[in-house]
Amino acid sequence: MINTTFLTNTLAMLQDGHAVDTHAPAVSHAVSQASEVGTGPKWILLIIGLPMLTTLLCGLYAMLGNKTKLPAWTTVAGAGIAFIATLVMYMSFDGTPYTVHAFDWIQIHFGEKSMVANFSFYIDTLTIYWMLFVTGLATLIALYASEYMSHDLGTSYCRFFGAFGLFVFSMACLVMGDNLLMLYLGWEGVGLCSYLLIGYFYKKPEAVAAAKKAFIVNRIGDLGLALGVYLTFVHFGTLEYAVLFSDPTLLGYIESAKVGNFEAIPAIAQWIPLLFMVGAFGKSAQFPLYVWLPDAMEGPTPVSALIHAATMVTAGVYLIARTYPVFLTSEHALPIVAWVGTITALLSATIAMAQFDIKRIMAYSTVSQLGYMFAGLGLLTTTGAAFHVLTHAFFKALLFLACGAVMHGFAGQLDLRKLSGVAWMKGWGIVGVTMLVGCMNLAGLPYITSGFYSKDMILAEAFITPGYAMIGWILVFTAILTAYYTFRVYFRVFVGPEHAEPGDEHHDDDHEFHPHPPGWAINTVLITLACASMLAISLAYIDKAEHHGWAGSMISQSTASFHSPYAEAAHHAHIEHTEMHAVDGPVGHAAPGTVFGMDAHTGMIIVSGLGAIFGVLVAAFFHGPKGWQGLFLGGRTEAAKCRMDSVAKRFGPIPKMAENKWYVDEIYMAILVTPLRIISHIFHWIDKLLIDGLVNLFGFLPRLLAWILKPSQSGVLQGYAVSMAGGVTILLLVVFVIILQGGAA
Amino acid sequence: MDTIISPIALYLICVLGAIGIAVALPRRNKALEITGGLVFAAAIGLAVLVLGLNATESGQPLPNYFFYPFAILALGASARMITHPRPVYSALYFILTIIASCGMYLLLSAEFMAFALVIIYAGAILITYLFVIMLATQAPSSASEQFIDETDSIAREPVISCVIGFVLLAILTTAMFRGVSDLPAASHPELAQDSVLLNLPAKVERILDRAGQLEEGERLLRNDDGTAAIDIVNRTITIENSDLHTTRTLGPDQWPDKLVAGNLDRLGYNLMHDHPMTIEIAGIILLMAMLGAVVLARKHIELEEDLKATQARKLGESMSGGNA
Amino acid sequence: MDHLLHSTQLAQLAFPEAVPAVTMAHYLFVSAAMFVMGLIGFLTRRNMIVMFLCTELMFQAAGLALIAFGRHHLGADGQTFVIFVLCVAAAEAAMALALVVLLFRHKETLSAQAWKELNG
Repeated sequence: MINTTFLTNTLAMLQDGHAVDTHAPAVSHAVSQASEVGTGPKWILLIIGLPMLTTLLCGLYAMLGNKTKLPAWTTVAGAGIAFIATLVMYMSFDGTPYTVHAFDWIQIHFGEKSMVANFSFYIDTLTIYWMLFVTGLATLIALYASEYMSHDLGTSYCRFFGAFGLFVFSMACLVMGDNLLMLYLGWEGVGLCSYLLIGYFYKKPEAVAAAKKAFIVNRIGDLGLALGVYLTFVHFGTLEYAVLFSDPTLLGYIESAKVGNFEAIPAIAQWIPLLFMVGAFGKSAQFPLYVWLPDAMEGPTPVSALIHAATMVTAGVYLIARTYPVFLTSEHALPIVAWVGTITALLSATIAMAQFDIKRIMAYSTVSQLGYMFAGLGLLTTTGAAFHVLTHAFFKALLFLACGAVMHGFAGQLDLRKLSGVAWMKGWGIVGVTMLVGCMNLAGLPYITSGFYSKDMILAEAFITPGYAMIGWILVFTAILTAYYTFRVYFRVFVGPEHAEPGDEHHDDDHEFHPHPPGWAINTVLITLACASMLAISLAYIDKAEHHGWAGSMISQSTASFHSPYAEAAHHAHIEHTEMHAVDGPVGHAAPGTVFGMDAHTGMIIVSGLGAIFGVLVAAFFHGPKGWQGLFLGGRTEAAKCRMDSVAKRFGPIPKMAENKWYVDEIYMAILVTPLRIISHIFHWIDKLLIDGLVNLFGFLPRLLAWILKPSQSGVLQGYAVSMAGGVTILLLVVFVIILQGGAA
Repeated sequence: MDTIISPIALYLICVLGAIGIAVALPRRNKALEITGGLVFAAAIGLAVLVLGLNATESGQPLPNYFFYPFAILALGASARMITHPRPVYSALYFILTIIASCGMYLLLSAEFMAFALVIIYAGAILITYLFVIMLATQAPSSASEQFIDETDSIAREPVISCVIGFVLLAILTTAMFRGVSDLPAASHPELAQDSVLLNLPAKVERILDRAGQLEEGERLLRNDDGTAAIDIVNRTITIENSDLHTTRTLGPDQWPDKLVAGNLDRLGYNLMHDHPMTIEIAGIILLMAMLGAVVLARKHIELEEDLKATQARKLGESMSGGNA
Repeated sequence: MDHLLHSTQLAQLAFPEAVPAVTMAHYLFVSAAMFVMGLIGFLTRRNMIVMFLCTELMFQAAGLALIAFGRHHLGADGQTFVIFVLCVAAAEAAMALALVVLLFRHKETLSAQAWKELNG
């Protein structure tokens, strides 16, 4: 159904030339604000157009046989200008969302209904928030990759940056699109680029397998998303955000959901968020669809940093945030999201504890942190989730890039049993420091890291929203584990006695191995990201009282906002501790927001802070080197062995199982892949024997016919005469018997 | 008239005939051939019997006996013709078949055709066949006098051919015997071919003249359309006197005896009057056949032969020059 | 000429067809049987000359049938047509024998089986 209000408003604005003034920070007003959407300036299209242009240029470079770093500089320039445009977009944003129309794409009108999905872009605070870090990180990582990939100059280099640009374009479509179909386009596009980039080293079978795995597992999620999009169209009659989020039916559902009356909402509408959720799980690597992310480390490190740490995997979070109103209408969607996120966080943290490949550890850590974000979404704090996305983007990219620098410099060596004391080697100082900053953020050391603030927001919310205390404690435990495994990496690889064994890419056996410290590009990017991680702390303090930080102020003005009545209650509780409102929620009279008798936020600061420090100390004890570098706790004297080895043996088979990822991949193989393979073999044989056989039979029939008829062409006159005479006889017989007899009868 | 011959008997005859011929066709085992011939003879006998008996049963007076000998002769001779291993004997048996056919033609009041058949077919065509047989067969040496070429001594697929042939025969005769009207009686007025005399005024005049019926200056009256003014039924002739422009009619008692049109007249008139173009075409066909035969069967003279011819001529000249 | 006419009359008297107990069907039966035997001979004999002889037999049979029908319909057309059949048979015989001679020259055998190069 076409929302005529939206159209008339747009037309009015076009005529008037200025946006309608609506500053209404209250809850559902933010949702209905979507109906009053203006049209934006056309230079916004630069953000989407420039990456596409860089892709095309890289293709051109490849055709021309370019062997310089020009593709990299082109991409950096394109992404950089896109970032500047995003900044300008942010500065010039006056609070009203607007649409920028590129061209008409799908306009199908049938009878009263219509499906409209144009190539247009919807800019509101959520979009700007996301695009800022997407374009920023894209620029930085492109700069990093210019040096990292420089040993591969030529067509491969152009191919890398072409896919890179395409990725940025797809991500922009995903985030900035104004309808679900544009989101889906971007979704598929990032999946494609992920495949292309993971499989960049296409001559390596493991890389190819990993690329296929990523694509296929993503596809499973995409199915859910596609079904969700279909159902949205079927039920609400539209795909555009502006129309959807001002649809009175949807608003009615939200109202019913707020009072807990879920029976009034039809089942179809409740299924839509569940299907979207499946899509988000696939793209953001949650249980059970997370298996592709660790394998995706086969791709080059810039790819891991950009796609699998900062941008693509946050697409799932973005989806849920963007379609939050729809999620609110389902009774079970958000709880499922919360629980799945929590389970994923715990599971992957345990796996990360037992891995030896530092990039793998970081990959599992990504999965774990994404679990945190999903838990945040499920706990009704989109602000917390979004802020964690931002901080995680910075420090995880930083961590990956630092690991990449190590890999790059040590000829592909990533095993933490073979590296030690890297930070003290010549030229590796910056890498060491930035790595420390990143690890601290990931661990969430209190007050001095931005990661702490974002994680704390989520943890606190777990105790504020009733019924999720269990999630909260699990997440706290996982935070301790996170601190442990993060600093395990740091204490093993970066400090301690200097030791380095070259990796697989070391080719000259007679040539002595020298580690190759990173150049200016890598160092610059690492420093920038470290600074960004630290500066993000400030974001937590902007607008802190009103909106829980700058992120909150951005999110609350978009459709992703939802001020839970429980949060409001806790807010009041924070100010006046004793005056708490008992809220009539679906869980009954609970006294929300207490942790050990304290207000949730305060309690969490203490608990998570202590937990993080505890995790660091444990890591130092087991893995740290002797002396001050190991905080005077450690006893490691060489790279390969540490105290953990003897302890791990006492736990029996459990560490081994954790190291083998709890055999999840093997279970999938047995349950899903092998039966499918068997079925496919069966079908192959059916196809070969039955269908091919049938077709071949048709091809064989003329030959058979010819073989039967050939003897009649004997060349002998009398043979032909016999046939002729026989034919005449038979004809006469037929005529005589049938016709004459019939006539006589 | 209903079926002259019951279908079962007819088919039995056909089956017997088929077996007989199939066995009798040239094969390695000569004794079997004789057996086959006997079977075939039995078939013919059965046919004759059935046809003859049927005729008597219907209460008719004595049948026309002469048909049966000729028929038996024709069938037997043709059977022997196709089964005899030696080609010359085949040709001779064929001549016998022709003679039998000739007899049946006579029975059917086609006298001219009967004799024409013998003269042309037996006399010309078959002789040509015999010449070619002689030409194409090597004279057997004394050692291999009894040797018959494999070409002739073994028949090719006798069974299927006989089956096809006799099934065809069964079909044709079944249709035939469903009821065919009798031949018109010999005394049928139309059979009397005198009516053609109307169209032959010159002949009538000649006969009248020979019979002495015509006076001086008299001639036969011709009608307006050119036909002779004679009445066949009442047997009257009208004669006109061209000088005196009078006519007189001759009565039936003055009908000359020789004024009878025979089969030949009728046939000739029909041929010339009704099928003139066909005659021309037949002539052309024969011409083409002659030319074709000459062209096909001639030998190509090689160049050496030309030299030989000139040499022979020179030799002849020298010889004649020597003599002279 | 008179003698001829007279002998014709005699012939007709000598062969009385007083009763048509022998119908046209009898003659047609003989004609059909002769035709079929000619057909069988053509299909079974390998000697080319004998094969053509059998075709002549088939012509014969056709002629007999024509005469019988002519007698039935009491016109002279049957006999006229037999004259033409005779013409054609003669022409055909001439051509056939010329071909046989030609073929015999090439392969020194009269077997029709020898000529099967157009087989497939």
